[in-house]
Amino acid sequence: MHDDVHIENGSMGRIAYARIAPNEDLVRSVEKLCLREGFRNAFVRGALGSLIDACLVRQDDTWQQIQGPAVEIVSIAGEVRTQDDGKLKARLSGVVADPEGNVHGGVFVAGFNPICVTFEITLEEWLPLAD
Amino acid sequence: MTTPTTSLRPHSPRLLVHPGPLDPVRIRSMQAARARHVRLRLQPSRTLFDALVEPLYGMGIRNASITILSGVFTQLQYCVAPPDPSGKSVAAYTQPIEAGRCCMIFGNATLGKHANGAPLVHCHAVVRTEAGLLKGGHILTPQCTVGAEPISVLVTSLDGFELRVAYDAETNISMFQPTAQAHDA
Repeated sequence: MHDDVHIENGSMGRIAYARIAPNEDLVRSVEKLCLREGFRNAFVRGALGSLIDACLVRQDDTWQQIQGPAVEIVSIAGEVRTQDDGKLKARLSGVVADPEGNVHGGVFVAGFNPICVTFEITLEEWLPLAD
Repeated sequence: MTTPTTSLRPHSPRLLVHPGPLDPVRIRSMQAARARHVRLRLQPSRTLFDALVEPLYGMGIRNASITILSGVFTQLQYCVAPPDPSGKSVAAYTQPIEAGRCCMIFGNATLGKHANGAPLVHCHAVVRTEAGLLKGGHILTPQCTVGAEPISVLVTSLDGFELRVAYDAETNISMFQPTAQAHDA
């Protein structure tokens, strides 16, 4: 199974829900959750919570910092994939609301989105058909 | 309005000191063998809370992760969570902010239970106000009324375990935690 295949057939497997504690990193925690639950590949089915500050990457490779606390996570779309070398990688994008309720969106930068109070996430395991 | 800053390198992430002792378990998770998926239509004139909870309880779904698709609400209230002025927690919800008649662009919600077993919905969403502003935050589902058209929702049920509010000593805030099934279901 490779990350760059054009069409990947498969099915949904197990479902996991987690509460992730404060000061943990959003992206890394989702990867660790997959390690904990034994998911090699997964899709985000739902996510909400808060960040201390948010850091989103933009298309021109600059970062957008949204200062909290708390920056509310409104919604996240994303997947976790096992790479060819066996490492797990989460790619998460989403919409956040700053302390005034104004919204911002982008891809979350791994290592730079510390959770403020709590983060809830539901992951559904993705089982690619063996190639 | 808070203007986001842009930079070539992000600032180091901040660490906030919470009022209680650090919980050594940083990820609390549970899994089930399979999810059930349900497409629901939120019924006009109902509160968002009732329009979600009544049909799901009718189907025996007590715990779920929910995606709310777009639709009009005739009234909607939300909160944001700036630093807690009392210092009891690092952040606290504001008083309700009235968004009035608005269009929900999308939202995410978790269905679980209060500590006493009563149903609870935790919902975050982004809305477009009648003035055209995009606003997001923590949605007060009993204070939101579905407009004239039903709103589609995708429900992913979480069976085999439950989500129940528990007091978290580290943050001094009560919140959903996944737990083994209780017997008051």
